Amino acid sequence: MYRIIIILVLACAMTVTGAHAAGKGGNPVPLNAKCPVCGMFVAKYPDWTATASFKDGTTHYFDGPKDLLTYYLDPTRYARGRRQADIASMTVKEYYSLGMIDPRGAFFVLGSDVYGPMGSELIPFKTQKDAMAFKIDHKGKRIIRFNEITSQLIKTLN
Amino acid sequence: MNIHFERHLNILDFTLSSLLRRKGKNFSLLTMYLLVIFMLASLVFFVTALKREAAILLRDAPDMVVQRLVAGRQDLVPAQYAESIASIRGVNGVRPRLWGYYYDGLNGANYTIVADDYMASSPESAVIGNGLARSRSMVVGDLLPLISYDKAPLMLQIRSILPGESDLMAADLIVITSEDFRTLFKFPAGLATDLAVDVGNPKELATVASKIAQQFPDSRPILKSEILRTYQAIFDWRGGMVVIILASALLSFIIFAWDKATGLSAEERKEIGILKSIGWSTSDVLLLKFWEGVVISLTAFLLGVVLAYGHVFFLSAPIFAQALKGWSVIYPDFRLSPNVDGYQLAVLFFLTVVPYTAATVIPCWRAATTDPDSAMRS
Repeated sequence: MYRIIIILVLACAMTVTGAHAAGKGGNPVPLNAKCPVCGMFVAKYPDWTATASFKDGTTHYFDGPKDLLTYYLDPTRYARGRRQADIASMTVKEYYSLGMIDPRGAFFVLGSDVYGPMGSELIPFKTQKDAMAFKIDHKGKRIIRFNEITSQLIKTLN
Repeated sequence: MNIHFERHLNILDFTLSSLLRRKGKNFSLLTMYLLVIFMLASLVFFVTALKREAAILLRDAPDMVVQRLVAGRQDLVPAQYAESIASIRGVNGVRPRLWGYYYDGLNGANYTIVADDYMASSPESAVIGNGLARSRSMVVGDLLPLISYDKAPLMLQIRSILPGESDLMAADLIVITSEDFRTLFKFPAGLATDLAVDVGNPKELATVASKIAQQFPDSRPILKSEILRTYQAIFDWRGGMVVIILASALLSFIIFAWDKATGLSAEERKEIGILKSIGWSTSDVLLLKFWEGVVISLTAFLLGVVLAYGHVFFLSAPIFAQALKGWSVIYPDFRLSPNVDGYQLAVLFFLTVVPYTAATVIPCWRAATTDPDSAMRS
């Protein structure tokens, strides 16, 4: 059996590497970056990284879309002097591709059986089709858009 | 501080000369001790290095491999499987792969043939493994003739030879173009040996695998984590076999060491009595015995570990290689990349040096607390 495995391994080592690097790249998270909402180190959960960049150039990192949204809805509570209007751009990791997308255009699935580092999550998707397929595969409850997310709703996730 | 240090130095000096006085006995003990540590450390180094090598190789492996089974045996996969699998949500890409084995009657070896158009860029050329090049004494530019299934020779020009570091996995490898592969084995068009599936999110692997199994009941998806687990299990199992063989040696050493360390001979008892009567305190005697234990066990430990390091990483562990590697075709002449895990060394240290030292000190403590007069008389 392991004889076969060896060959499999070898053959793949040659080509797959390139594809991987391209798909899962993106800007790396600083090792000491902590999520402003929960205080956890973000670099430990690369599949869940979310970011918010401000107009003055600073970037905050979050360990999941839920924490980013919590922050977005009430920035002053987590960082003094920050206002929602100062946020220049945001990113979340799309579930299927792990590529960075803008949460403002994303479709979020609630109540699925996929959990992030902070438990129940809002799982982001680029297209509604992906979100619907995911909702069926992973027993999701609802699909919502960015502007439908309220602090009330996030509280029900926690 | 200084006085304390000098006291230790003096006692150590005395210890060394007293050890030298019983050269034969202590030397045989040291040799036995050294041998046991050498064997254990070699085994630990070897198994860890093999596991590490496997893990490094698997790092770049595809997330999932899909095979097709016919009556429970692996069969060729039709190309349309790849298309349907690629359309499953979460799959980044599917690559049909071609690989197989070729028996060479000349040296009785089985070669592993892999088709890769990227590595073997032009037709009738090949990239070969180091072990194969060695066994057929070939260099870059030579011709390697393979007999295809329609009995026509396929002359492959060797473009390059894989570096020795990959020998564990690639000793008997021949990489050729997919076109040559199909000619060599009369491999039917539109079929592949298996499919390498790249999945974007590792969390989605299980879902993708279950969808593939549902869509194609004759397929068998194998996850990377399963391959990794198989590897670890194989090496653990092989390591375990050697441990069992070593266990008897280890046990006899333990009995020997215990006997030597705990039972004080009449001579030693007398020595303690004399030391006490000329003014040594109990703590001095204990210190002496402590240093005796430390000198023997630490020397054995350090020497054993260093020898094991050389044995595994410079000589490629000739003692267990046959038992642990188990490759049967062209033997890989690989050199494991040196890597020592501090945790494992610490475990080895606490299992050997510490108990031995304790075992030498405790009986002396009993002897040292007795009256020197009665100790000398007995």
